[in-house]
Amino acid sequence: MTLAAMELIDVKRSIGNKEIIKGLSFSIYKGEVFGFIGPNGAGKTTTIRMMVGLMKLTDGDIHILGNSIKTNYKKAVREVGAIVENPEMYPFMSGWQNLMHYARMIPGVTKDRINEVINLVGLEKPIHDKVGKYSLGMRQRLGIAQALLHKPSVLILDEPTNGLDPAGIREIRQYIRKLAKEEDVAIIISSHLLSEIEQMCDRIGVIKNGELISIQDVGEQASVDNLTKIQVEVTPLEKAKNLLKEHYDIETIVMDNGLSFQGEKEKIPAIIKTFVENDCSIYQVSVTKGTLEDQFFELIGENTIE
Amino acid sequence: MSRMLKLIYNEQLKIYIRKSTWAMYIILGVIIIGLAVMTNSFGELGEQYQGDDWQEVLQQENKELQKEGEEDEFVGSLNASIIEENNYYLDNNIQPTPYGAWQFLRENMLLLSVVSLLTIIIAAGIVANEFRWGTIKLLLIRPISRSGILLSKYISVLLFALFTSIFVFLFSFIIGAVFFGVEGMNPSIVSNEASGYTTISLIPTIFSEYGYSMVNLVMMTTFAFMISTVFRNSALAIGTAIFLMMAGNSIVGFFQDKEWAKYILFANTDLSQYADGRTPWIEGMTLGFSITMLIIYYVVFILLSWLFFTKRDVAGQ
Repeated sequence: MTLAAMELIDVKRSIGNKEIIKGLSFSIYKGEVFGFIGPNGAGKTTTIRMMVGLMKLTDGDIHILGNSIKTNYKKAVREVGAIVENPEMYPFMSGWQNLMHYARMIPGVTKDRINEVINLVGLEKPIHDKVGKYSLGMRQRLGIAQALLHKPSVLILDEPTNGLDPAGIREIRQYIRKLAKEEDVAIIISSHLLSEIEQMCDRIGVIKNGELISIQDVGEQASVDNLTKIQVEVTPLEKAKNLLKEHYDIETIVMDNGLSFQGEKEKIPAIIKTFVENDCSIYQVSVTKGTLEDQFFELIGENTIE
Repeated sequence: MSRMLKLIYNEQLKIYIRKSTWAMYIILGVIIIGLAVMTNSFGELGEQYQGDDWQEVLQQENKELQKEGEEDEFVGSLNASIIEENNYYLDNNIQPTPYGAWQFLRENMLLLSVVSLLTIIIAAGIVANEFRWGTIKLLLIRPISRSGILLSKYISVLLFALFTSIFVFLFSFIIGAVFFGVEGMNPSIVSNEASGYTTISLIPTIFSEYGYSMVNLVMMTTFAFMISTVFRNSALAIGTAIFLMMAGNSIVGFFQDKEWAKYILFANTDLSQYADGRTPWIEGMTLGFSITMLIIYYVVFILLSWLFFTKRDVAGQ
């Protein structure tokens, strides 16, 4: 985990006078799955387009295994496999012909490798059918297959599970984990399906309005997070609310038949004791762990496009 | 196989794998057969001159034409040229050549404008369609320069033009041979040239005529390719290119009196205007001038395509 597979160095992009990417800097390492999330219009796709050389950088640089995408494009992009937005293929050609088409563009891709990739994504049966007849899920698989043909060091997948059924999502998820672990590929996944990112990724970068506002470790977030959401079904409500305010300085929200507040898990027994000592009746105490979704909304606030 | 060859192979595959391309060839084939059937039913095949008495037949025909012409002034003027042609045969003691595959091939040169049309359609789509299908993204994220991809596409369009022209050429000859037979290995015919009736050797004439029309084909194809790359819109490219191809001559005709008319592309695409005994369209034009103009237009088309294709971002649709 020392060599950065892809490194973004103060990447900026303006369209006209408007700066849409305002200096992104982060690295993605080999063997890691990096989740890239943000609301619509935050600049996810623009960033991905710059990573693969479809859009030019206004300022900054992107290095892929040390090769600059600006000055050493061919070498840099040789190590990248990607799906950008939808996996669009030639509808009048079969899956096999599509893969052959891309294989011809990169030296060293053998027929064995193509078959291997087809097995990997499970497209053996329909591979000789026309892509025009494929379902979205099948096209998505074919998209992943073409991205893997040349054994890239960096795999960029824009919404990879879009259009897949639950079984397919699970399969792809397992496959992505396997690729990262066994083949030491750095994988970048953009998505707005937060639970999916949470399950698949090691690290998550949150982008908003062209700025990276947070990078966090998924494992870390689950264990270290000590503020939990606590709900107590208690009567009388007003009295309980005041008790919490007086003894623990906690702001609470009054719900249908209880209170909801943020607090440390360790404090719960003390809080219950306080309630009992002050003649409040407790019917239920529940703890919900903060999910990524909560954090996400905390970070980005409302889903606004500025 | 070198990388460029593989890229060209890819592009050729994408052209020829589609049914619409095969429809183009079928249409061309049907037109050629149709022309042969029509010529066979209504055309002058010259069979009556093939006997030993061909001189008598010609004289007899002249008499009839003369008589017809005296009755009607309009018919007379038409017949005069036929009589003149017949007299040329008689005076020079040349037996008229029967109609055959070579002459059919020469007449089918008109079909090269259909070839232009089809090539324009291919050229207009070859870049714009990748954008329309969204496949341009997966095409450009390979370790190949954009210039390389553009070049492979341009070469593929020219190859399509070449293959289609060869198809018209060969198929016309074959169909001509089936319907009318072959006149021989080096037939000559009497033709009305600028200097009057002369005997010309047919095969070199055919090759030079097909050659001259290639200039227009290449220029219009490159133009459609340029529009396709710059605007990423195949309909626009097809529309403008076909309009200009059809209207080209009228445009020059319209501005003929203007000083700058000779700088219009279409004033220069027909290089046969400098052939023996013919006067150029606009006074003062020379072969060198036209070739220079063609090169300038060509370079501009290519340069625009290249600049737009390599420099512009591939953003969302």
